[in-house]
Amino acid sequence: MTALLFDGVVQGLQLSLLAVGITLIYGLGGVLNLAHGQFAIVGGVAAALLLQLGINPVLAALGGVGAAGVLGLVVDRTLLLPAYRYRGEERLLLGLILTLGFSFLIDGYLNWRFPEFSLSFQLRVPMVELAGIPMRTASLAASLIAVAVFAVLFAFLKLTLLGKSIRSIIENEVGAELCGINPSRTRTLIVFLAAMMAGVAGVTQGLFSSLGTEMGPEFTILGLLVAVVGGVRSINGTLAAGILLGIVNVFASHYVGAYVAYIILLSFAMATILVRPAGLLARFT
Amino acid sequence: MRKYADIAAVTLVLALVPAAAGGSPYYMRLATLALVYMAWTVAFNLIFGHTKQLFLCLNALAGTAGYLAVVLAIQLKLSPWVTVPLGVAAAAGLGALFSYVSVLRGLGVIFLGIVTLSFSLIFHNLVLGLRQFTNGETGLVSRGLGFSLLEQPVPSYYIFLAVLLAALGTYHLLMSSKSGMAFRALSDDELTAELSGIDVTRYKVLAAAVASAILGLNGALYAFYNGIVSPSVFSFVGIDIPVLIALLLGGMRTRLGPVLGAVAFALIEELVRPWGQLNVLVYGLLLIVLFTTFREGMVPVIEKLWRRLDLRQAARLRPEQAEAQRRTP
Repeated sequence: MTALLFDGVVQGLQLSLLAVGITLIYGLGGVLNLAHGQFAIVGGVAAALLLQLGINPVLAALGGVGAAGVLGLVVDRTLLLPAYRYRGEERLLLGLILTLGFSFLIDGYLNWRFPEFSLSFQLRVPMVELAGIPMRTASLAASLIAVAVFAVLFAFLKLTLLGKSIRSIIENEVGAELCGINPSRTRTLIVFLAAMMAGVAGVTQGLFSSLGTEMGPEFTILGLLVAVVGGVRSINGTLAAGILLGIVNVFASHYVGAYVAYIILLSFAMATILVRPAGLLARFT
Repeated sequence: MRKYADIAAVTLVLALVPAAAGGSPYYMRLATLALVYMAWTVAFNLIFGHTKQLFLCLNALAGTAGYLAVVLAIQLKLSPWVTVPLGVAAAAGLGALFSYVSVLRGLGVIFLGIVTLSFSLIFHNLVLGLRQFTNGETGLVSRGLGFSLLEQPVPSYYIFLAVLLAALGTYHLLMSSKSGMAFRALSDDELTAELSGIDVTRYKVLAAAVASAILGLNGALYAFYNGIVSPSVFSFVGIDIPVLIALLLGGMRTRLGPVLGAVAFALIEELVRPWGQLNVLVYGLLLIVLFTTFREGMVPVIEKLWRRLDLRQAARLRPEQAEAQRRTP
């Protein structure tokens, strides 16, 4: 029982890591990124390729995260430019289609180039006892990394001037622009950070299980569901929703099977949109 | 008469395709598939082109009808003449429901997209989960259930052609009546349309229901024609993406765009078939390139060329007319 709960939290943190990027890009850039899971996959594949070259696993992991970030940078500066020319619905629609197309581009290439690929850091790690439950250190490490990333993100958003300007753009883009904030440059930075976080999720996935090139759409969908349930403009909500859905998913998979678990998650997201579009856990404002 | 010249020409060409295929089963199947995609694209044009509702669950709507028609025929031993209409009704009902709920809750294009995408995934997981009815990933054999016409290449071609013409006819009826006017108004600006007395909810739901019925009818017949229904027959990548690309290629909000677009897409797909896995990459590239540089589609381009040709002919006539006018006092 408690073991399931822990598993849920571990999975949930991974989901939050993906979803927070979707939330940030949506809140700041007004683009719903349907290629977000593919960023994670690219990060994982890059890390695996570096590992094959015989590079130290830690450096390889960092390299993977960096590769995801660079891909995000490129997407923001090239692919999304036509979308940024518009505002509101038009930008959302164009961004949605462009990122959907880009996700197919990545999926098609990776599945063709690395058909039998799987990333897995074969670390021989012992089990540890935590509060009486045997835990694999790898899952623990993955969760600690996720928590650390979130801590840095929150510190960045709350404490630095740049972080404050980012939050101001999420609140009101025009208002922020009037205060002298350059939304375009901040947007690029956010897409870069969000892609790196997706890269972290991809690489850590290889830490406690394995990562295949065909997992991109699944990552995107799960991230999207968490972002929707958490409220597509709220970062705290996304973190909470990720952990909640992770726990729900693990319990449902255990008791009623994977298909039903997935259907429950999807229904959660649908219900959220229909009943509380600002997010299940959004503050009443 | 001129109004129907394009439809008549298309009908004639499509009706002659079996003769041109010369009985080759491969080409007949290709041509039949193209017809299926044409009708699906006509339906998507109504939903997305004319009423701006982003449905990302075409596969699930067509698949609901397809699976219902086949599963009911197997489990309850019903005739396809009963199960196909049931499937169509289910698809139309679901489409209308999504449309109604989205208008009711004021969902923007993105949220309707997420809701319908979720539905598409729910459908997929339901099919996999309800193994005792659907036989999971392997799928069901849909032959020998009483629809023998759809098991022969040439009759099935003409059945799908009839469905396509019915879809185009419905489209024409809708567009040339009051609802066509309403569609044009609300795709320009919904608020203005509402303010000038158009019942936006009604027309959006109408478009979604009619289009979903077309999707469902085609899906149900396709389920019998294909011989096998499995989740991969009604997959997102297999239906939604090709239809979206075909609509963009042909031209949104045009009558013949879906037909030409689906033909163009079928040709492209034949070209990239030898590349195997890379076809997904080509889909992605097409989506990006079409949406950034070719959002009008082929039909407006063809119309422009046609008009220029017309003008040139008119210009050639003009000197003689001027001559004739000079002579008459």
